[in-house]
Amino acid sequence: MSMCLKVALRYLLLFGAAAALRCAAQLDPWEFEVYPYSTTPRGVAEFETDNAAVVDGHAAGGQGTASGTLHSQGMWYNSYEVTYGLTDRIEAALYLNMAVPEGGGLQWAGDKIRLRGRLLDQETLPVDVGWYLELEWHKTPQYDDAVRELEFRPILEKDFGRLSIVANPKFEKVLAGTGHDQGVEFGYVAGLHYRWARSLSPGLEFYGGAGLIDRAEPAGEQQHYVFPVVWGELPRGIEYNFGIGCGLTRGSDHLIVKFNLELERFVGAILRASPERGWLF
Amino acid sequence: MTNTGINEKIFEIRFENHQFSPQTLMVPANTPLKVVVVNSSRERIEFESFSLNREKVVEPGESVTVKLPALRAGSYDFFDDFHQDVPEGAIVAK
Repeated sequence: MSMCLKVALRYLLLFGAAAALRCAAQLDPWEFEVYPYSTTPRGVAEFETDNAAVVDGHAAGGQGTASGTLHSQGMWYNSYEVTYGLTDRIEAALYLNMAVPEGGGLQWAGDKIRLRGRLLDQETLPVDVGWYLELEWHKTPQYDDAVRELEFRPILEKDFGRLSIVANPKFEKVLAGTGHDQGVEFGYVAGLHYRWARSLSPGLEFYGGAGLIDRAEPAGEQQHYVFPVVWGELPRGIEYNFGIGCGLTRGSDHLIVKFNLELERFVGAILRASPERGWLF
Repeated sequence: MTNTGINEKIFEIRFENHQFSPQTLMVPANTPLKVVVVNSSRERIEFESFSLNREKVVEPGESVTVKLPALRAGSYDFFDDFHQDVPEGAIVAK
């Protein structure tokens, strides 16, 4: 085989691998969480840990929830988040993403910052509307081959008595790293939560990704999950959300267990109360 | 109770002496309403209702308005999430 052909084949293989690795990017396995319209109250800090363990996943990198070279089978996605209520309508958050791959130890997997807000006041519009803007960065190709990513989500919520229906369509653009020259990826997070009792309530959550907006992946290669969950408040104000997620397609991991814990405490406001008639701040 | 003239009624809940008053707020069912939460105390509170999905911080000496949709007849909890020892109250729609 000539040298030119070898080089060409090497680049072809690298390009193919990179394209495959981007397939899972629009789903964030570090955060199986549905964002509601309401934000963290002004002056309140929320400390949260989100955990997802892939019980039955894929054995090769770039498949299922894995966006890097490591495989998803046996992976424990572990993140720590601090959120602060800047105003009555806007919160800011900082994340630390960690992971434990199968047979490995705890490793850093990336960071992200985000702003999230709600528009107007509850019940002003027929559907309560919020927004979410996130910047994620990492140089950990074993977990994600994109270096910087920007994500935007509109947040839509409607309450019917004790039932809340929430949808977070996700639009994500890779700014640096593999896929930066591609378009916008589409994914979604959605939930049905019934407020039965403060200590224990049921819900159903949905997570998924379809690929690039202008070039969706074949249906079987997309990722779609449904999580029956229980959520509520433990003593001392600790809130939990526990769920078992089933992958609905060949491209999804087959079984994921998630467990999120959070605690809110007032730490002091740095900004004055938002105007009652305000819509953004 | 105040009627705003646009078929929306306004009610008041006051927080003072480490408790809400009234403890039970009677409101009409099937009518959109606003509840003004007045914090007359010197402590910061978080007015929260699990069943109504509402949560608002109220600074000492300030008030907030909580908009509510037309409620079905029934009892809806409210409490101060910053002070677990404050007795829980109820909004009763009839």
